[in-house]
Amino acid sequence: MSKQLGFLHNSEKCVGCRGCEMACKNEYQIDPIPQWRKVFQLREDDFSLPSRMFISMACNHCAHPECLRVCPVEAYTKRDDGIVVHDPERCIGCRLCTMACPYDRPQFNPAKKKVEKCNLCYQRIDQGEKPACVAACIPGALALVEITTSLDQKTGVLKTLPGLPSPQITTPSLRFVGPKQGKQIRRD
Amino acid sequence: MGDWEWPLILFTVLGQIAIGIILMLWWLARDRAHLDGQLFKRGVKVSGGLLILALLASLFHLGHPDAAYRALTHLSTSWLSREILLFLLTFLAWINLYRQARQLSSGHALRTDSATMAVAEIEAGQQTNSLSLGLGITSVLGLSGIASSAMIYVLPRVPAWNNVGPVLFFLLTTGLLGALCTLALGGKLLQNTQKKFLLKWSLACTSVSLLIYVIYGSMLSVSIEGAASLTFLLNSPLFWARALLGWFAPLLLLLSLLKRPQIDQTHLILTVTLLAGVGEILGRALFYLSATGIQITALF
Repeated sequence: MSKQLGFLHNSEKCVGCRGCEMACKNEYQIDPIPQWRKVFQLREDDFSLPSRMFISMACNHCAHPECLRVCPVEAYTKRDDGIVVHDPERCIGCRLCTMACPYDRPQFNPAKKKVEKCNLCYQRIDQGEKPACVAACIPGALALVEITTSLDQKTGVLKTLPGLPSPQITTPSLRFVGPKQGKQIRRD
Repeated sequence: MGDWEWPLILFTVLGQIAIGIILMLWWLARDRAHLDGQLFKRGVKVSGGLLILALLASLFHLGHPDAAYRALTHLSTSWLSREILLFLLTFLAWINLYRQARQLSSGHALRTDSATMAVAEIEAGQQTNSLSLGLGITSVLGLSGIASSAMIYVLPRVPAWNNVGPVLFFLLTTGLLGALCTLALGGKLLQNTQKKFLLKWSLACTSVSLLIYVIYGSMLSVSIEGAASLTFLLNSPLFWARALLGWFAPLLLLLSLLKRPQIDQTHLILTVTLLAGVGEILGRALFYLSATGIQITALF
């Protein structure tokens, strides 16, 4: 594998509009129940000051994907650009990958009785386009990036946020620009 | 928390009973004088029936059972692929045992007609060696399949499973229910020493199972998710039913069976087998129900 593509999510810019979720649904006409991309509101208790912050998460195309390791039918493959692709034609619906992923991103579609997940719009990427969710993000909170050491060394780029599973489990290809904490002024 | 995974509960418990019976028959066949032909045939038929039921039950867990054969394609890293392969090999080895069981009956008929006892004894010895080899191969394959089954659940995401616990639980179920079912199947075909060994083995499995569960439970509270599993278990009436039926009642009954060998044991053995079986099914259900995975703790 020569490189590792992933997402950079700027929690400061994200307003929780769910445009990315809708763009993903529109692009692939996904059934209502599986959500390949999902916007979460972070718990306020995890931060020192009251904050209203969101993260948008799809498959993290991990460097060490547990889904790929446990799948008995080789439905998962990792491309040279690091994208973890799920082939629904091979899936037999054993749901072991849904148990193994700490982010709950491979999801079981009860209508099709198969697992589905984000394939990082590899068809669009191959044509030089942005993934649907990235293209649809109005505030520009979501970006497609190459995960490199230099990216990780940039000030403000974080590998995880409070409330997320430890990145040591699967080494997710997701980075965050952490939320800036506002000032709280109390008038006593 | 997990779900009631009936297909997986039935697959694992029935498969483990089947392999446990074969394992016990192997132990009984270690010496040519020990394994009764009738018991061998009965044990092989029952274990085969249970193995077939277990394999059929496993298909109901899949979204697309018609494509189950594909599960053999990722042997390099998937324990599920390895499990399926080993269970299929176990089934093939069982077919060989079934063939031997059928030949055994014709063998008995031949010996009745034969006038030469020495030749019959040599034939019987060869047959026993062959049976022992067949049982040994089936047992080793089956135990490897059970270990693979357990390894499927050793997932970093689920702290309650990410340890040696699943392997020990699955092997102890095999040992306990295998011995009890062999006792129930054997009845008067078993010698007193064999009965005593199987009762002691069952007692040891039950005691070790209880001891390991106490240690396992105390280790769960190390992580948040493990502590959630422990809280679920302790607050669940199913867990206390499992403790009563699967540990305490069998322990008392097995001790009484060992202390008073003169009493009629048939009904007590059936009772303890039934109780331990229900206890193990509840235990396996709780294994799936109490699993708490590491996850995103966001508001929605």
